[in-house]
Amino acid sequence: MKRLLILLLLAAPVVAYGKEVLPFIDNDYEKAVARAKAKNVPIFADAWAPW
Amino acid sequence: MRAFVFPDRSLARHAGQFVWLAIDIDNTANSSFLVKFPVTGTPTLMVIDPQTEAAVLRYVGSASVPQLEQLLRDGAEATRGKPLSAGVEAENLIESLRQSRDLENCAARALELYPRFAGTASGASIAERGLSCALRIPDQSKTLALAKAVHDEAENPRNALIDGDRAALYLGLVAERKKAKDEAGMRSIREQLAAFLEARAAAATTPAQRASYDFYRVRVYRELGQSEKSIPMLEQTERDFPTDYVPTLSLSRVYQTMGKYDEALAASDRALARVTSAAKVMVLDLRSDVYAAKGDKTTAAQTLRDAIAFNESLPPGLRDEGINTMLKKKLEKISQ
Repeated sequence: MKRLLILLLLAAPVVAYGKEVLPFIDNDYEKAVARAKAKNVPIFADAWAPW
Repeated sequence: MRAFVFPDRSLARHAGQFVWLAIDIDNTANSSFLVKFPVTGTPTLMVIDPQTEAAVLRYVGSASVPQLEQLLRDGAEATRGKPLSAGVEAENLIESLRQSRDLENCAARALELYPRFAGTASGASIAERGLSCALRIPDQSKTLALAKAVHDEAENPRNALIDGDRAALYLGLVAERKKAKDEAGMRSIREQLAAFLEARAAAATTPAQRASYDFYRVRVYRELGQSEKSIPMLEQTERDFPTDYVPTLSLSRVYQTMGKYDEALAASDRALARVTSAAKVMVLDLRSDVYAAKGDKTTAAQTLRDAIAFNESLPPGLRDEGINTMLKKKLEKISQ
């Protein structure tokens, strides 16, 4: 449904992460879980779309 | 958020408090994540307890730096079983009612809750989400009251919204004027929004920041009947991000709107060459529209079949049943 909406409103930005501030792991949930368990901290996830 | 919020250096103090995960919802590598944590809108921000792998906080929508810091505090507390802050709780309630299409309750609760949070980012969000519900129910009094709240928030810099969220408030006001069949009012708000977006884009300090305004500028210029104004900025974005499909897809749509079908197909060619994700469905769907507009129904239909086949080949979590239904309806119509 989320993509359907965008089809109707199409025209979106392209942006890049500021990874130098927050060290985001890209598209690897398992790696994030393992690292979070090791550090004993929660995961902050940003589920985003490029469009 | 990716252009303005996450790069903000004031957030560096939170870097060690979380493991930071970015999930592109079009990337097939994220299939199992998206099955486990369904996403109904973007961005969806979550705090996940790694021990239980449960999302202790979910928030649909963008956030400014102060809003994000509140979400981080709430998320950390939630992992210890503490409740969310009142503003986030209220926003989530209205969003939940909206998602479940409980529109009367959504509008009514938004009206009840708004005064408590007026002048804050939560207040703006409650008013905007509530208005989107009110616009779909007959009760005009709720629409008018929520439109006033949205207007007040749009004009109030104290709520410190990110520009995209402020633009969404103006678009809510356009929708309200549309329901009232007030063409002059719609035009006036759109012109105000276009001026706001142009000023903000001109002040951007990075290509990513400037490009983040494309979405709203393209939309508002299309609605004003001035799509030609979108072309220079999209061409600039394509130069700044030469491997990205998004600006070329947007250019294709703009040219299609202007009736320049050959230019639309040329831009679509470039988008198709660059897209490597589930978003290929969008590229093919628009490409089919261009062929149909050119009068080439045979290629339009084949392109729709390609889009449907591609969508159906996607793994769970990325395959979109809503879009499949829509594509099949279009194919049926074009094949008649």
